[in-house]
Amino acid sequence: MVANMAPIMFAGLIVFLLIGFPVAFSLMALGLFFGFIGIQVGLFSPDFLSNLPLRVFGIVSNDLLLAIPFFTFMGTILERTGLAEDLLESAGQLFGGVPGGVAYAVILVGAIFGAISGTIAASVIALGMIALPAMLRYGYHVKTAMGVIAATGTITQLVPPSLTLLVLADQLGKPVGDMYAGAIGPSIAQTLIFMLYILVLSVLRPHWVPPLPVEARTLRGWVLLKRALWGVVPAMSLIFLVLGTIFLGLATPTEAGAMGAVGALVLAALRDRLTRRLIWQGMDSTMRLSSMVIFILIGATVFSLVFQGVDGPHWVEGLLGALPGGQVGFLIVVSLFVFVLAFFLDFFEIAFIVVPLLAPVAHKLGIDLIWFGVLLCVLLQTSFMHPPFGFALFYLRAITPPYIRSGEIYLGALPWVGLQLIVVMLVIAVPQLVTMFFHAGPVVDMDKAGEDVRRQIERALQPR
Amino acid sequence: MKLFLRGVDALSSAAAWLATWCVLFACAVSASNAVTRYLFSVGSNAWLEMQWYLFAVIVLFGAAKTLRLNGHVRVDIFYGALAPRGQVWLDLVCLGIFLLPAALLLTGMSWTLFAESWRIGEVSSNAGGLVRWPVKLVLPIGFALLALQGVAEMVRRAAMLTGALPLSTQYERPAT
Repeated sequence: MVANMAPIMFAGLIVFLLIGFPVAFSLMALGLFFGFIGIQVGLFSPDFLSNLPLRVFGIVSNDLLLAIPFFTFMGTILERTGLAEDLLESAGQLFGGVPGGVAYAVILVGAIFGAISGTIAASVIALGMIALPAMLRYGYHVKTAMGVIAATGTITQLVPPSLTLLVLADQLGKPVGDMYAGAIGPSIAQTLIFMLYILVLSVLRPHWVPPLPVEARTLRGWVLLKRALWGVVPAMSLIFLVLGTIFLGLATPTEAGAMGAVGALVLAALRDRLTRRLIWQGMDSTMRLSSMVIFILIGATVFSLVFQGVDGPHWVEGLLGALPGGQVGFLIVVSLFVFVLAFFLDFFEIAFIVVPLLAPVAHKLGIDLIWFGVLLCVLLQTSFMHPPFGFALFYLRAITPPYIRSGEIYLGALPWVGLQLIVVMLVIAVPQLVTMFFHAGPVVDMDKAGEDVRRQIERALQPR
Repeated sequence: MKLFLRGVDALSSAAAWLATWCVLFACAVSASNAVTRYLFSVGSNAWLEMQWYLFAVIVLFGAAKTLRLNGHVRVDIFYGALAPRGQVWLDLVCLGIFLLPAALLLTGMSWTLFAESWRIGEVSSNAGGLVRWPVKLVLPIGFALLALQGVAEMVRRAAMLTGALPLSTQYERPAT
């Protein structure tokens, strides 16, 4: 039993989480329970657990995690400034004339607004509230309309500066700036692939994505231009304020997040939306989300400290490091594993519990951790989309008129899950998509890969 | 019982009120740090540390209220399928055997950390940094508030089961 403590604890993790009590506390209880057993059977001394408060202290004194409330605050303020509405309406009018126009508008605005709003919920709700009625009124294919909104909402994860990437950077021990730079290529690729799909639809099934009739396109010329600029300029300035200062090295990612939040407040003031109520709501939901997220991390820390004590990382490495196929085998298994986990775990749970277990193995196999992080991010995006537990679908359901059946939302999402998987494969097949924006080092260390293959051949040739 | 619940809720709300304001303060401090460093090349370790002192307050002081509002995320595959009464039962048991021991243990352990810091008058090792014990005190207070709110939630759940309070299992997945 002592030798098998790690797998037993891992099984315990699954059971404790599935019970359905808040994850943060289940993790703490699990860690302490096994910590107690570990001490009883003599795996480690009671002193071992006394590291715990120091670790918790390490979490709250982590400068990078401090960015979580800042980015959240920025998003919650922006959500209520009407920025998304302006962007969508002007983009809709701008592209409305061509087949699939509203869908293009949704995708483009989703990518821009997603960059600064940061939460999938905000994105899906904003896009859905504004674009969905227009799409349904002018005869869009219901499933396609559902799919484009849900899928575009998830772009939020991948477009820098996203909180997802920041948390992954922290867990992988890599610079946030690199992680953001690495995600630029894939997020552009994803946006283009989505738009390409609409283009294909508009050729093959033109009646699914009809253009807006002339009478629906009331804004023209200067008025339209002004409206569009009124949305685009502030959005772009905010993106630059946050990303630019990070890339130019003027501010730490945390400070950039804080400036973004202040920028969002200024923006709200410029648009006459800055009320005490708005600020309080923003602060309140930010406080709750931050506390919730960091408590998951505290729970995960209790778990992982004890898991280390029972030699868990070693067990995981033995399990994953010895897969047939070396790096490729590892990536395939990890991709499937994360894809399945995401059916019932939320992003933060995966980032705090699972990623720290995978990262050392990936590193030992010679996989670039930035690239690995971006890959995980793209992979996790799909998890927000696949039925029946996709978050994005829940939010979409919440704002869709009841006459649209849930089945239509689920079915509508499926082709887009496929498109996202194409992006996953693209990132794996063309690592340059990630690496070209930050450094020139090889993603897959060829020497190491060669060594792997050689060892496998030798093993295969060995006489039995 | 009502008095106890009201008292604990008020205490948690007061702590959460402080935590909520810290969001804005932390933001202002952090943004000004960046601006003053860039514009006037002035940096202060005290203000840099102030950011995460405030962060600690956001996280630890907000946890109890978040528990009260049922805002800590769950894996709700099975939980969601339970009848309301079953959910209340599950919460009651888990609050008792998961949350309470963990929160109490962490209160005790982080108190030790604080006591040590207080005893030696620990000051940040950065030049011009802040005194350490206040932020270390935030930890045991936060965990103790969480434990207290945990007891209150148990009382509330028990009252729901006996019919003294209306059954309520409102849980919305936090929007991430």
